[in-house]
Amino acid sequence: MPTLLKVQNVSKHFQLHIQNNKHIPALHDVSFEMDQGDILGLTGKSGSGKSSLMKCIYRTYLVNSGTIQLHTDSGAVVDLATANEHEVLKIRKTEMFYCSQFLSVIPRVPAVDVVAESLTRKGHDHAEARARARDLLDQLGLPQELWDAFPATFSGGEQQRVNVARAIIAAPRFLLIDEPTASLDAKTKDVVIDLVLALKARGTSVVLITHDQHTLERMSSRRLHLEFGRVRELATA
Amino acid sequence: MNYQDSDNGWLLRVRNLTKIYGDPISNSIQYTGPAHGTNICPETDAIVACAEINFDLYPGEVLGVVGESGSGKSTLVQLLYFDQMATGGEVHFKAIDEGKTNIVTLSNQRKRQARSSLMGMVYQNPRDGLNFNFSAGGNIAEKLLMAGNFHVGRIRERASFLLEKTEVPVKRMDNTPATFSGGMQQRVQISKAIANNPPLLFLDEVTSGLDVSVQAKVLDLIRHLQRELGVSMIVVSHDLAVIRMLTDRTLVMKNGRIVESGLTDQILQDPQHPYTQLLVSSLL
Repeated sequence: MPTLLKVQNVSKHFQLHIQNNKHIPALHDVSFEMDQGDILGLTGKSGSGKSSLMKCIYRTYLVNSGTIQLHTDSGAVVDLATANEHEVLKIRKTEMFYCSQFLSVIPRVPAVDVVAESLTRKGHDHAEARARARDLLDQLGLPQELWDAFPATFSGGEQQRVNVARAIIAAPRFLLIDEPTASLDAKTKDVVIDLVLALKARGTSVVLITHDQHTLERMSSRRLHLEFGRVRELATA
Repeated sequence: MNYQDSDNGWLLRVRNLTKIYGDPISNSIQYTGPAHGTNICPETDAIVACAEINFDLYPGEVLGVVGESGSGKSTLVQLLYFDQMATGGEVHFKAIDEGKTNIVTLSNQRKRQARSSLMGMVYQNPRDGLNFNFSAGGNIAEKLLMAGNFHVGRIRERASFLLEKTEVPVKRMDNTPATFSGGMQQRVQISKAIANNPPLLFLDEVTSGLDVSVQAKVLDLIRHLQRELGVSMIVVSHDLAVIRMLTDRTLVMKNGRIVESGLTDQILQDPQHPYTQLLVSSLL
């Protein structure tokens, strides 16, 4: 398969100017490649840099050095570490989706619209998007009476379902997904895994963070193990 | 500032925009700014309200401007809306002469035209944006008339459509804004600002001073209008929650300069400049 992402020598630290210039290292000289259609599992202890790496790819964090080359759908190669902000926004809108560990949504928007928005922003009809959102929330086992409620009031597991639904409904080309199955019961966990695997079958590439061995084993085709912000091991599953 | 020139897709392009009050000397800009911790020129007491301001705004984009009081954020939008005359610099706007003209140098008449038909402004204080001697409908009519719409029936129709859209009771259309609540006054201002479907809208601290439930409704309205009309916006606020909810990109200002700019999630989660770090760490 052709290359999707090439990360080279990425280092990241935080410089806290207002706390005596405290220096917090996050990533050190991280390099790896992934192909289109891969599901790359990021593993390592809490604080090893998994989420930091994911946020650097999404450009929520700025790297201090290194490159993050994405081979886009149009065939261009874009360095997400330095690309123009408008270009990053366009890539986020069209092909790269970040599903954070915890749901963070615009307040006062019903769950079904939170999920449908991923489709409408890509130009889908509003009614069709809502219908598909309801379908997906149903598959994920979110009780029907919550579909029109605001997710801010939901339990952790219910929020997680909305979060995952929003991430996968539009079948993004490149999905960054942080702990998608944490706080879910075993049955829903498998539904999520099956849905992501179905996306993979349609060509979606995924970077996955999980502490759950079952999720990791069922989903990832390759693994990148981090320790203290460094790549310890890159292996095929 | 880490600034990259980009392709041709911009709607508004701002380069080296500067506003100095008082008597500047050639070194006023050099003697002021974040490195000096002031925007007052030590030799002449001239106030460098904005200097070396550079950014591009894209169609449909919402750009946030944050900073403390006196950082120059309101001056910035007032310069762009021609409330104030720039001391120097260039502003290009695709809706005017296809972006070829520096609109800072337009004649007063063309500036008035641009303000009435191509831009909208919502001020923090409704008294700055509305004429309290006119009715709510009259305020909207004024904006429509300025843009060359003279048909009375159609003006009333448009005014009631806009008031309905912004959830102001249409039966209050002939009352003056003085008889409205603060939240309703902001809604009338928003109706007036979008009356001519401008491609560019400026919002200056529009929710400051409103109680939180009214604030939420005004923010929901702005978000809704942005998505429905696809209008580009510059949102000035000292409230990072407003910035997070509405904007794609953010400029951080201090002492009349942009000290940091970036994607809004990056500014909030990985702020680089000491001032931005202080601002983010001050979030409740």
